[in-house]
Amino acid sequence: MDDERAWIEQALKGDQAAFGRLVQAYERPVYNLTYRLLHDAVEAEDAAQETFLRAYDKLATFQPERKFVNWLLSIASHYCIDCLRRRGRAPQLSLDGPLPPQWLASDTQRPDQAVSRKQQQEQIRQLLDMLEPAYRAAVVLRYWYDLSYEEIAEAMGTTESAIKSRLHRARRMLAGQLQAA
Amino acid sequence: MGEPVACRDSERVSLLMSLSLDGPLAATDQQVLEGHLAACPACRAEWEAMKQISTLFEGAEMVGPRLGFATRVERRLAEKAKKRRRLFGGAAVLTGSLSLAAVTGLVAAVIVLGVVAGNWFDLLPDVEQGTNTVSQIASGVNLMGKGVTLFLTDFLRAFGLPMVIGVGIALALMLAVWIWLFVNRPGSYHHNGAA
Repeated sequence: MDDERAWIEQALKGDQAAFGRLVQAYERPVYNLTYRLLHDAVEAEDAAQETFLRAYDKLATFQPERKFVNWLLSIASHYCIDCLRRRGRAPQLSLDGPLPPQWLASDTQRPDQAVSRKQQQEQIRQLLDMLEPAYRAAVVLRYWYDLSYEEIAEAMGTTESAIKSRLHRARRMLAGQLQAA
Repeated sequence: MGEPVACRDSERVSLLMSLSLDGPLAATDQQVLEGHLAACPACRAEWEAMKQISTLFEGAEMVGPRLGFATRVERRLAEKAKKRRRLFGGAAVLTGSLSLAAVTGLVAAVIVLGVVAGNWFDLLPDVEQGTNTVSQIASGVNLMGKGVTLFLTDFLRAFGLPMVIGVGIALALMLAVWIWLFVNRPGSYHHNGAA
């Protein structure tokens, strides 16, 4: 934590190596978020890089009382949500359409066939893809980063009750799909 | 076996389900949830599905970028800084040239206006041609002033004020650009604080 503060201060003075250490420290959580939201390795890499470029430009506005990683996640989630909305790539969840057949091969339904990690990743991708961007971001921040409602709300620039509502609706939609499959 | 009958309380109960997946509920809410789930097959099915999805997400690991990510970010930062410096230099040269042109134009306009005004109010001496060098020059200036006066009087009446205002605005804009450039001048992106 002290190292982090020192790196931020040095980076503010233009020290590339210090900012490089911040990138190394947080590249994984930032990339994971962009990948979970965009589901394309190339786009995720670009979005993660863009997140750090924006963070470098806005470093002077970072408030030390916030967690640095949450600040980065906030930049990344806003950027990715904008990307998804611009590209119109967010498939809207239709309660009429069941999940693709791959989803049926779950541990619960077929315990004799262990679902491989790759299949599991694919299932996760399909589920997240069904959610609209703001719901998807809330789900990812909740499950992969274990952020509180307050932290997710801060990262996404909304209220705690909105986050509770998004998580609720997202879970209902996904549960509905799973039941329909 | 048909599908479970839809539950009228499903919205309220599913909210409790969702909240309980994120942390413990208040005792009364927990009782409400458990009581309802025991009696309602439709909500119980939804609850099982929610838990299954939650388990799947909780078991998912973080994925990281390809090796060398930090280096690629540093390269992009360096490129961006270079681009900004180039843009800054270009803007400085452009606005500098325009400022110089505007100032030159303003000075020329003042001289011309001075001659015109002098002639207008008949301040320039009516000097005989060819008496001496000084008078020749004065005569030349006088003639020039009269010529310019004739040519520019109508023009200046129509456009003089807008021209002065225009040049003033242009200079003010130039000043604003210079201030902006100074405030946003590119910082160096370097190792260990060394410039």
